[in-house]
Amino acid sequence: MLVHSRTGRWTAWSLFAVLFVPLFALPLLVILAASFSTHWSGAFPSGPTTAHYTAAVRGESLQALTTSLVTAVTASVVALTVGTWAALAAAALGRKGKRVLDALFMLPVAVPSVVVGLAVLVAFSQPPVLLNGTRWIVIIAHTVLVTAFAHQSVSAALRRLDPMYEQAAASLGARPSYVLLRVKLPLLLPSLTAAAGLCFALSMGELSATVMLYPPDWTPLPVLVFTATDRGSLFTGSALAVVLMTATLLVLLAVSRIRTKASYR
Amino acid sequence: MTSGIRFDGVTVTYGGNTVLDSLDLTVEPGEVMALLGPSGSGKTTALRAVAGFVRPASGRVFIGDRDVTALPPYERGIGMVVQQYALFPHLRVEDNVAFGLKARKVPKGEIPGRVADALEMTGMAAYARRHPRELSGGQQQRVAIARALAIRPNVLLLDEPLSALDAQLRSGMLAELARLHRELPDVSILYVTHDQVEALTLADRIAVMDRARLQDCGTPQDLYRRPRTEFTASFVGNANLLPVTVGEKGAAFEGVTLDVPVSGAAPGSTATLCVRPHLVGLGPGPNALSGRIGEVQWRGSTHRLYVEVGGHRVKADVRELRETPALGTEVTVHFAPEDAVLLAQGVGDG
Amino acid sequence: MASPGTGLLERRRAPGAVPTRSDPADRVPATVWPWALPPVAVLAVVFLYPLALVVRESLAPGAYAEVLSSPSFRDALLTTVWLAVASTAGCLVLGFVLALVIAFVPFPGGKAVSKFIDVFLSFPSFLITLALLFLYGTVGMANGIWTDATGDPTGPFRFLGTPWGVLLAEITYFTPFVMRPLLAAFSQMETAQLEAASSLGARPSRIVRQVILPEALPALAAGGSLVLVMCLNEFGIVLFTGAKGVTTLPMLVHSKAILESDYAAACVVAVVNVALSVGLYVLYRGVSRRAGA
Repeated sequence: MLVHSRTGRWTAWSLFAVLFVPLFALPLLVILAASFSTHWSGAFPSGPTTAHYTAAVRGESLQALTTSLVTAVTASVVALTVGTWAALAAAALGRKGKRVLDALFMLPVAVPSVVVGLAVLVAFSQPPVLLNGTRWIVIIAHTVLVTAFAHQSVSAALRRLDPMYEQAAASLGARPSYVLLRVKLPLLLPSLTAAAGLCFALSMGELSATVMLYPPDWTPLPVLVFTATDRGSLFTGSALAVVLMTATLLVLLAVSRIRTKASYR
Repeated sequence: MTSGIRFDGVTVTYGGNTVLDSLDLTVEPGEVMALLGPSGSGKTTALRAVAGFVRPASGRVFIGDRDVTALPPYERGIGMVVQQYALFPHLRVEDNVAFGLKARKVPKGEIPGRVADALEMTGMAAYARRHPRELSGGQQQRVAIARALAIRPNVLLLDEPLSALDAQLRSGMLAELARLHRELPDVSILYVTHDQVEALTLADRIAVMDRARLQDCGTPQDLYRRPRTEFTASFVGNANLLPVTVGEKGAAFEGVTLDVPVSGAAPGSTATLCVRPHLVGLGPGPNALSGRIGEVQWRGSTHRLYVEVGGHRVKADVRELRETPALGTEVTVHFAPEDAVLLAQGVGDG
Repeated sequence: MASPGTGLLERRRAPGAVPTRSDPADRVPATVWPWALPPVAVLAVVFLYPLALVVRESLAPGAYAEVLSSPSFRDALLTTVWLAVASTAGCLVLGFVLALVIAFVPFPGGKAVSKFIDVFLSFPSFLITLALLFLYGTVGMANGIWTDATGDPTGPFRFLGTPWGVLLAEITYFTPFVMRPLLAAFSQMETAQLEAASSLGARPSRIVRQVILPEALPALAAGGSLVLVMCLNEFGIVLFTGAKGVTTLPMLVHSKAILESDYAAACVVAVVNVALSVGLYVLYRGVSRRAGA
């Protein structure tokens, strides 16, 4: 403990509360409150209603939610496969090869999402592959954006994986492919599910690249939140945002339950 | 396939550092060879060269009469047990033990029996359905040994297998390992340790390693009674090492001529005299040395006296004294001529 | 986008899971490298090739000269950089103070707060701007309280459409990204060191300056440079503010491409933006590697 006096501690805690509550807790509460309201004039929202939610789970909004879920799941699965493959391959390469591969797969993190959107738009609006106006262009952009995170999580987990397991397996006569399937992947399972959760959450909230690309029949939830807010329907936007947050949290929760089951120690 | 291990001029380098310097060593079929040395002496590297986890810069490694230098680890047919057990945390005990059998595509029908045998042999049959995390350290170590034995290796590599256990468990496991070796007389065991007690207890022969080199090799009794180098003398049993000048008959230490065997040493040359502390007695006798007590340690059944003779401290372990002597007391210590070994300078790295 | 290695639900490293030995002489069979080809091929098709096209497009005759000399580009560049730098500074100060309290002046519920921060990181950034609209918008909470209290027809808070609104949103959203590595670093600090310092009579402010801050520097550097890169690339927050007065480089890319369909100009801005962020990101990797992050 750093501060020993009672008053000192209370000063620190009040400072924390004064900074933390308005900056971090309040925004989420405000969105939650707004999503159940029709008016906000004065200090507090008024006109309690659940109408926004009734609207949010129907028609256009429901379609946006399924669009987001399908996009996020597809992008996460592909990203996890490619990212894990690359991380495993990089770990098996020598130091130089690993550097190059890691750098390549890290690059999308540093490139602005808007630019990823622009790049994908430019590339797939011209032959040989025409995808502009299809859902695939959105899914491709999401995949590019989350692959880096999948790769990074899995490489970090691989670095932490003690080589003694692999060596014990090899000494028992297991070939590399057998070691991968029976030892490495099972031991990496907790990290893989964590990476999947991360990818999913990122894709669910992706807006920057999506606004550059989305076709009218493939509108993910964040875009809908934006268009609602942009035309002034703040309360509808809030309800959609709450749906977005809830869906993300539910999936993360499910993933973390799998993780608990999958962690052996 | 025959058992036994042979290092033929094996050198291993890590980024310019030589961590194993042209090791020549043969482990006979059915022999327990301990690789004894401090950390960084190259002993673990030697073991890992047999396992196939390090590639020698030069030299060959043979298992039996097969040159395995270029073989990957999974084709070497070795059993290996390491300090941290390395049990697969996601597999039950029985699946851990079956792992090597499945990986080697042993017929499915044979596997349960061989798993049961291996667990029986290590006394872990009752724990087959448990996960490693539900076992104590000693139990995990038994499972690790069972897993290594299940594939019926000709060569067993043990890398500090007891270091993670507490002292009491360690002596139990030591007896257990000795029993296992009696039950598997054909298996060659390479046993890496920094603990001389483990090496002396278990090994048929001990190879003493220091600074990447083999310093000495022999039976435990041989090394203990007739060390060939100062390093062996001090690392195995912590001997007194006294600088002496060799004379015609005996050797001079601090102006006293000692009656010790000097065969082979040139008169007038300097050498090191090695005497075990427990062979040094208190009181007058042959080869008496006088000095003051510089330090006393009571060790229960014995007293360790540090007697200052000239500029040197002579260690003497004597049966517990009725009264702990005061520091500075003048005492005489002695040792029998046949208990001293003369180490010529220049042997090993002395 | 959020953090590399946020590891939203990442488990703490199990003790003993650290690689015990690395053998420099480990075998790297020559048959391994073809396995790296499939993922690299995928990346090349969906990312590297598109990025190369952007660079090619930007090289259209006169594009660079035209964009670089336009005042809107220079404004956007300036706005982007100062917003990113100011946000990063704010995040560092705020994140350090908050992490300090959580780690060293523990209180009941501190664990829940850390969890909350993890969850916070998994939400998209534009939610913060949305919330700020309710808090500080023209008819929002703050102005509502003001008009209720004073009877004035309008409140005094109208900074949301200005860079200050973006700054507030960015500091709010990105501070947790500084707190995460800091909390990790603090949890590894020896409490013995703090106890020794305080038993020697050092006051808390002195302990913070002389013991904690030096230990936290690598984590601060790593978190700070990451936040700097993310602020340079931030789009959702700015877009949601709807502020005409705040144009950043990502906003410019979007408006050139989507609103004006001027792809060559968009690509030029994109290349400048990428150069800026990738340069900084390389720096970040260097710093965080040295920090062992």
